[in-house]
Amino acid sequence: MRNEKELLELINVHLEPQAVEIKREQNVSVELAPKNLIQALSFLKSHSYQHLSTISCVDWLEEGAFELVYHLFSYDDYINISLKTRIKREPGIFQTAKEIWPVAEFYERDIHEFFGVEFKGNDNLEEMILENWQHLPPMRKDFDTREFVNDQYEWRDYNGQKHTD
Amino acid sequence: MANDKKSIFSPVTAFKNLVKKPETVRYPAESNDAAKRYRGFHINDLEECIGCSTCQEVCVNDAISMVEMLDVPAEEGQRNERPQIDYGRCCWCGLCVDVCTTGSLEMSRDYSYIDLDPDTFIVTPDQHDINKVDHPLGYLRDENSDLLDLKRIDIEMLDPEARVDSFIEIVEGFSKEQAEKEASRCVECEICTDTCPANMNIPQYIRGIFDEELEESVQQIYEDNPLPEVCGRVCTHKCEGVCAISHRGEAVSIRWLKRYAVDNVDSADYKKILGTEKIEQNNKKIAVVGAGPAGLSAAHYLSVMGYQITVYEDKENAGGMMRYGIPEYRLPYDALDKDINYIKSLGVDFVFNTRVGEDITLDELHEQYDAVFAATGLHNGRSTRVPGTDNNNVYQAVNLLADIARGKEVPVTKNLVVIGGGNVAMDIARSMARLQMEKYGEVNITVTSLETEDIMPADQEEIEEAREEGIVFKPGRGPKEIEVNEDGSLAQLCTNCCVSVFDEEMNFNPTFDDSDIENYECDMVIEAIGQGGDNSYIDDQFEIEYAGPRIKINDFSQTSVDWLFAGGDIARGPDVINAIRTGHDAAVGIDKYLNDEL
Amino acid sequence: MDKSTQTEIFFGPNHPGVPGNYGIIYEFEGDTVTSAKANAGHLHRGFEKLMEERLWIKNTALVPRICVEEPDINEMVYAMGFEAIGEIEVPRRADYIRSIILELARIQGHIFSIGGNAAGIGQYTVMHWGTLTRDYILDIFEEITGARVYHIYIRPGGVRQDIEDETFDKILDLMDELENERFPDLEKTLFENPNAQKRWQGKAVITKEEAVEMGATGPVLRANGVPHDLRKMMPYAAYDDVEFEVPTYENGDAWDRIKIARDDMLQSIKIIRQLIQNIPDGPVQTDLGNGLKYKIPKGDAYVKIESKRGEYGYYMVSDGGLKPYRVHVRGASTPLGLYGVREFLPGTRIADVPVWAKSLGICPPEFDR
Repeated sequence: MRNEKELLELINVHLEPQAVEIKREQNVSVELAPKNLIQALSFLKSHSYQHLSTISCVDWLEEGAFELVYHLFSYDDYINISLKTRIKREPGIFQTAKEIWPVAEFYERDIHEFFGVEFKGNDNLEEMILENWQHLPPMRKDFDTREFVNDQYEWRDYNGQKHTD
Repeated sequence: MANDKKSIFSPVTAFKNLVKKPETVRYPAESNDAAKRYRGFHINDLEECIGCSTCQEVCVNDAISMVEMLDVPAEEGQRNERPQIDYGRCCWCGLCVDVCTTGSLEMSRDYSYIDLDPDTFIVTPDQHDINKVDHPLGYLRDENSDLLDLKRIDIEMLDPEARVDSFIEIVEGFSKEQAEKEASRCVECEICTDTCPANMNIPQYIRGIFDEELEESVQQIYEDNPLPEVCGRVCTHKCEGVCAISHRGEAVSIRWLKRYAVDNVDSADYKKILGTEKIEQNNKKIAVVGAGPAGLSAAHYLSVMGYQITVYEDKENAGGMMRYGIPEYRLPYDALDKDINYIKSLGVDFVFNTRVGEDITLDELHEQYDAVFAATGLHNGRSTRVPGTDNNNVYQAVNLLADIARGKEVPVTKNLVVIGGGNVAMDIARSMARLQMEKYGEVNITVTSLETEDIMPADQEEIEEAREEGIVFKPGRGPKEIEVNEDGSLAQLCTNCCVSVFDEEMNFNPTFDDSDIENYECDMVIEAIGQGGDNSYIDDQFEIEYAGPRIKINDFSQTSVDWLFAGGDIARGPDVINAIRTGHDAAVGIDKYLNDEL
Repeated sequence: MDKSTQTEIFFGPNHPGVPGNYGIIYEFEGDTVTSAKANAGHLHRGFEKLMEERLWIKNTALVPRICVEEPDINEMVYAMGFEAIGEIEVPRRADYIRSIILELARIQGHIFSIGGNAAGIGQYTVMHWGTLTRDYILDIFEEITGARVYHIYIRPGGVRQDIEDETFDKILDLMDELENERFPDLEKTLFENPNAQKRWQGKAVITKEEAVEMGATGPVLRANGVPHDLRKMMPYAAYDDVEFEVPTYENGDAWDRIKIARDDMLQSIKIIRQLIQNIPDGPVQTDLGNGLKYKIPKGDAYVKIESKRGEYGYYMVSDGGLKPYRVHVRGASTPLGLYGVREFLPGTRIADVPVWAKSLGICPPEFDR
């Protein structure tokens, strides 16, 4: 059973992190370069970090990057570790993690649908939640929901009052 | 698995419910009342509500819109709008009740409404809810769920013993954390903007402080007020009186936040921030008579528009009553100079020690300039003219204050009386207290006024601070006579009880009770009962309309003579912010006049 | 396979056999499912995008709607994320109240889902009992928070209002009633019923390795003997002050999971009694200033709690502004509803598809968002 410091030592020795941080008790965050992330995942999996909670994506529009965050948990150490990496927003391509965890296929499918990130090696990236979506991937920061609604739909007037937006 | 009990008779247990009372509620034969805290339909007290639209701000689903109510007057401190709720969008979260600034919005326990017409689901709640039947109240805000920040941050101030020892500024100012926390209390309702005589963009400059963008604050302030160092210290802050937060808590410290914003921006950066590094000049020239707040404001706005301005001032320095009337402990001279120097840096010419009417006439100004703005103020103190006021030891407050501002020596006696109940009386009393402390080591000042304390025109803060500094108040007394000794020194001021100040038509008509006599020993009397002006430079040469004692002006500060504009105390009064507004209006008006639009 | 014997069925989203607006498209041969995939997205409301456009305090009214059966877990994790990034301490009494609310939510969620499971095998009496018992707990919620289902009660900094002592007495009375009358009735009618046992034993088995690989937690793991519970592994709120057991079983089938639901409820009653007995006095909120101007520094946090179905987490990112920059919802049944359907449903009988879907606790609103 490791504590947070020992975990960070392990990571510093075997992986090439760009930044490590103990965020709170039982919570650690590590930043890696995109080329090192997949082997970091399989390294950690073989060191008791078997539980993949989810994969998140954050759109940093001004910096022109997508940040992919993989949240792992160990049933031995009871520590939550978030592995972060930043990929360029254009073209938005990364490798799949489904060889390590097959369930990652669906998390990546969700990120592809909402952010437009392509995962090489994952051939099941078709629509899952949305249906016949023709516009920008909606969770991107340059997708304006009010504009979309005003374009697509007609506002209904109530009480003789025109809708203003 | 091996331990799981099984029995084929197990479902038989359900049969016992045949003889029990059913657990369902037979609605509507049996009523199903909601709990005490239930979040039901809304109720609003339309009189208490001020239309601040904070509920609209916090509504998650955009369910609230503000609609104009024709039978509600748009008076000071409120808008004539009230919230209208669309129950097709509302989710009954109750955040609007938690954030309501007056506490007028509440929720009832009613939860059922049925109608075939969807338009009836949009209501303006009043004291009845949507069903128009009185239900008991449901969810109410308490101090835990309250989302507003009701307590003001106290600004650092010197305590009374330190204050009365010198003329150092009393108010020390906010730190960065204090200013940002105080700025976060604002709910951006803009009722203050409606009340401010200059309609300053108050929520916007407060937001600039909250966002740590002081440059934005300075830009927003200068749109309507070119004297923020002054107003940030001495404005009468009508805005704080109508602040939405003041209904249930303490008003946002709008004045001190304005001061924080400009105190922390270097004047060297002003031109870049305000975009006045290069102003395109036209070839029109305007003369401004009087370098007080109205004249400075007009000079600023006209300069920014490209006009060439010359300001004629009969004293030796600019500032008017701001320099020669307001004491240094309220408005330090370097703060005043920061504002005036920026206006000078825009290219405004100042001609000091020049009195229009003597050294140059108004007619000459009319020939040499394309328009004239007159704002000469009221610098002649009025006298009670009771017996004894012609003695040498009876002074006018305005003259003494001007001399103190110049750094000249003024007579200070051990025991003095100030007649007057306004801010000028407070200024002279507190200034003389400091001089007495310096000369004699103790304060011996009595302030007496016709008005009783509840209707004294001075600011409540000034009266309290004066008391803390050792000044004694005798309100509700009318001066009858100043008794003079044989050698010409003063003996005492004799007063009667003042029964009332105003008559039934609210005209100034004081009545006295001659049998009630109180005498105050003194060796010096200072009168601070009001001021008059000297408009002879206008009246001697031109026919101009008056509205009572003041020059009549329109919304653009234009007088009945079309090239002559007037502002400040001679046209409107009574304080700095109103003077600034008349100056700004005059700038807009002169611009229109010179483009033949007025 | 001979194409003429394969048929594709759209099971759901409007079907009493699915736990919510969720569909499974499966192909079957004879009586057995041969391949399946999830037909998700019917409950997509765009919450993550909506949350980015609203102030921090406004999102507290939006967030409970992400999981319909147990809304309080959303409010709790949102508040925990805000407090983690802003390094805000919550008073102890507020921690206790939050735990009481969460445990009450757990009981009402479990009893409701036991009713749902019973409906899946045709035991409609127990389905009605489930809804009914839940209703009494909703009455308690109405008294504490002002609303029955979407409470909007747990806020960043603490809870919205205090609880009075009479309400605590009512909660204890209800716990007694549940333990002494309703649960024994349920036990006799459903759990000792050989029909129910036969329908659930050995069905919808998920082994330990499959569960860990998939990322399934909660009852799915505990039915395989793994006693992992986030309330003990990463204690939050007041769970470090109470004693309770984490029930486990050995077989990993639907019967074990439903028994775990029943045992969890009894443990929750025990926890609630301890919490009410030991609750300290004090404030229920840390003052965070003007609600319209809540601000926390730049940062991010992944916070998670143990919902009745497993690990429920939010990944929240703040850029120092007045609105969240990103909120990502990790539902407890996301891997099961999307991946598990494809991998583990084939091979079950058609009549057992509802048993599979309901006993695993698939909650569509949390992965559709």
